[in-house]
Amino acid sequence: MKNARTPLVLGALAATAIGSTQASAAGVTAGTLIQNTASASYGSGSATTTVSSNTVTIRVDELLDVAVSALDAGSVTLADTAVLSYRVTNSGNGNEAFAINVSPTVSGNGFDAAVQTIAIDTNDNGIYEPGIDTVITNGGSTAELAPDAAARIFVIVALPGGTADASASQVRVTAQALTGSGTPGTSFAGQGQGGGDAVVGATTANANALGALLASSASVTLTKSFAILDPFGGAKPVPGATVTFTIQAAASGSGTVSDLRVTDVIPAGTTYVANSLTLEGAALSDAADSDAGTASASGIDVAIGALPGGNSRTVTFKTTIN
Amino acid sequence: MNRFASAITAFALAILAMGAAPVAAQQATPAVTLEGLVKLEKTIEENGKQKVVLEEPKVVVPGDKLLFTTRYRNAGTQPVDNFVVTNPVPDAVRVADESALREQVSVDGGKSWGRLADLTVKGEDGNPRPATATDITHIRWTVPVIAPGASGMVEYHAIVR
Repeated sequence: MKNARTPLVLGALAATAIGSTQASAAGVTAGTLIQNTASASYGSGSATTTVSSNTVTIRVDELLDVAVSALDAGSVTLADTAVLSYRVTNSGNGNEAFAINVSPTVSGNGFDAAVQTIAIDTNDNGIYEPGIDTVITNGGSTAELAPDAAARIFVIVALPGGTADASASQVRVTAQALTGSGTPGTSFAGQGQGGGDAVVGATTANANALGALLASSASVTLTKSFAILDPFGGAKPVPGATVTFTIQAAASGSGTVSDLRVTDVIPAGTTYVANSLTLEGAALSDAADSDAGTASASGIDVAIGALPGGNSRTVTFKTTIN
Repeated sequence: MNRFASAITAFALAILAMGAAPVAAQQATPAVTLEGLVKLEKTIEENGKQKVVLEEPKVVVPGDKLLFTTRYRNAGTQPVDNFVVTNPVPDAVRVADESALREQVSVDGGKSWGRLADLTVKGEDGNPRPATATDITHIRWTVPVIAPGASGMVEYHAIVR
């Protein structure tokens, strides 16, 4: 906000305007009275006379305008959840609240993010703080914003399962003046700040901006192979031969696979070799205990957990052919 | 700030009233009457041509153009001379260019007068800079003589800031 005039002439001007003389980017504040009075002096014979006109008064009505911008530089990486930031600015000349609508469905999206939370940055520190920032429902509204004032909106989104790595998405945030919006010039009688009308400005009192997301996910490829060692030092699948199974779990993509677990059943006609289970070459006990694996006559189960893309884990176990 | 501005307003209006009172006492009915009017200027398109129409200012928002008119009439029996109409420009408007360039204006609260092109104001860097229409604080017109019974009007265009 800045004053419309230099301080030098404020005193003289105060006589001609009542109410706020602060001008916002959108102009004088709604409800300001513009009062115009002319005076005249003239000579008549030797006397000088001064007369004043009546005062004409106009009340400035409220202009409804809004601007929305996305605040993140470039795409925000979405691996699990991510926070998108937007700014909603009251570009009108009166106090106004705005309804906020968030849509993750935007034409051209590689995937549609799941909107989890919409919050207003209550303390305006630019950081989403659960429990501090005010959560609003989709379609809920901001507090009243003064002319030129802005609110930062956080949209917390989650990556839907199965999203391909590096696919792109946009999330649209729309802000709409609560008093009303529509074709510029549409007016709402008596609903303006200061008792005048509210009139839709050039922005239609409805604006939106897109925030961009880039999915960061990973997928797993399992490769199973086996090697046979028969009792005669050969590789024939004969009874008594030992079969070593190798399962390689390879993660690819920019993200991380979570809760990866490798399970397999012991093939029919074979018997699991006790304590033969390994992970990355290290032995795992058969019992369910502190290590990652369990094994029994029916199958094996190895909990690998998180595995970043580009990494792999190898599980082996042995059986004998009956 | 608001309360302060209001206080100044009341004070300034009081001074105005006090200044006018002794004169009014000497001359029971001033020979000249002034009537102020305001209209909203709208540019509309009609048959592909732009046309300016004047409307009652029902809805006025920043950027709108207003036409302030002061009608004068010499109701007395004697001619009046040196008739000067002075109009402080309301804070919430700026004088539109067509009036700013044509009339006698002041950019210092009515202390000094001239053509806008000849006036300067103190710039933000402290040095004088050429005055612009937004700097105008007062506007005035001079009518040399008004014959008894004669009337006329002066007007200026302004844009709501």
